[in-house]
Amino acid sequence: MNLEAHRMSIIRSEDQAFEALFTSEYARVVGIANRVLADPDEAEDVAQEVFVDFHRLHSATAQYAPAWLHRAAAHASLNRLRGARRRQKREVAQALEEGDKTVDPQRHLEVSEDRRMVRAALGRLAPKPAAALAMRSSGLSYAEVAQALGIGIGQVGTLLRRAESALRKEVIRGTSN
Amino acid sequence: MAHLTDGTLRRMVDDPDARAGADAGHLDGCMDCKARFERISDDARSIATLLAIPDARIDVSRAFAQVSRAPRSQPALVRLPVFRSPVRPIRLALVAAVMVAALTLVAFAWAGLFYKPSTVVAVPVTVADMQALSQLANYGTVTWTQQPNLQVATSAADASAAAGGITPPVAHNVPSGISTTISYGAMSQAVATFTFSAAKAQAAAAASGQTLPALPAGVDGSTLTVTVGPAVGEIYGEMSQQSSGPNNINLPQLVIAKSAAPTVASTQVSAQTLENYILSLPGISPDLANAVRAVKDPSTTLLIPVPVQYASATQVDINGQNGVALGDNTGLGGGVVWIGKDGYVYVVAGSIKQGDAVNIARNL
Repeated sequence: MNLEAHRMSIIRSEDQAFEALFTSEYARVVGIANRVLADPDEAEDVAQEVFVDFHRLHSATAQYAPAWLHRAAAHASLNRLRGARRRQKREVAQALEEGDKTVDPQRHLEVSEDRRMVRAALGRLAPKPAAALAMRSSGLSYAEVAQALGIGIGQVGTLLRRAESALRKEVIRGTSN
Repeated sequence: MAHLTDGTLRRMVDDPDARAGADAGHLDGCMDCKARFERISDDARSIATLLAIPDARIDVSRAFAQVSRAPRSQPALVRLPVFRSPVRPIRLALVAAVMVAALTLVAFAWAGLFYKPSTVVAVPVTVADMQALSQLANYGTVTWTQQPNLQVATSAADASAAAGGITPPVAHNVPSGISTTISYGAMSQAVATFTFSAAKAQAAAAASGQTLPALPAGVDGSTLTVTVGPAVGEIYGEMSQQSSGPNNINLPQLVIAKSAAPTVASTQVSAQTLENYILSLPGISPDLANAVRAVKDPSTTLLIPVPVQYASATQVDINGQNGVALGDNTGLGGGVVWIGKDGYVYVVAGSIKQGDAVNIARNL
């Protein structure tokens, strides 16, 4: 038996499978993180960390790979959101940067403030409803959200409703303050 | 019909699959549910607007290149929890790979009517293989007839007493730079019985979304009795515990271990039946299956699984006995496993070069 030849062929096929997985899922993983963080650069950071973590521990041929990546993207980005201080700094910088590009600075400031407020509120929700909302609003189907969270498809609506209702209350509270 | 739940109504807002059947009929005719549906739709729309964000512009090729540069580490399955360290995660990966995965594979893949190995051979395993094999533990129940008892001792005599009289091997060629602080580890003999259950196997497979090949006749209810140890080892380097708990042990630089060869006895099924079944499980790679089938005398061979993405293996001669020398691909560790003429399994491994490990092995 030529072990080295076996070894090389397995490594090659695993690497190819990982590249295929990356190509097909990267945009969706970034999409989930971006929906939570409202920051494309930070969303890409999160997505790349998620893929590296996956590659360390799992085979790219595993059936659960996309579901694992989606859930990890939602949780990792929500965790970052909760690390509030760093985020606020970034958002100030981002608002200033976006303000430079716009014809209507006042409007842009409002948009940034809305985004900041809704993200802060999202960070205060319970993890599971927040993750369901992040995934669904980034375009995952009900079936994909259910798979990522390991729940029945019927429960996705319940989690979304819970998240939206809580988020609405949080935003109203934030506005009235 | 009872009113629709908020969850069902929420799903009807934007899942076309949900807007059918009895629920849709109910919604059309129920004023109460209609009013709640409107409120839920409004909330869903306003939250969607609040969460709206321009799409990120991404360059997948550039991102893949960045991810490809990230260093890989050992797969979690071959790490023993106690050896996890944020500083040096690779150190004992080889020992972990040998001890954990070898025993798993041996116990399940080579259950002869009575199996006692006298030689070693390397077989390549992937992360997927290890996951598939670790699933096997869910295909029945494990009962310990004799629990392993692990102890750390300060003298060879104490370790030997705790390990049923086996004396730790004495190394003569320890490379310079290796700590002169030596402690000893001992494990008493452990006996476990695994009973296969067709029902548990199907349930475990269903839970992970897989379809199992049918269990061959006689496998349901059959038992494997695995005996491991006793074992002793010399551990070079500090083992002092840090304040943050038992998961943060400073990893030793070198471990030299000696263990009674594992034995497996089975009832009801032949080794061949079990082997064919295990190798047909979903997730087992053809490379592993072929490598296992290529072994000439399974009843006397201890399979040493080599995680192919992280370590390479070569056959070496240890004073006339077959040995498998391992080196991890990071260059941080090396080791060798062999069965001595006395029938004991020996392991020399650590953060040393593979050549040094072989040199120590030949001069024990």
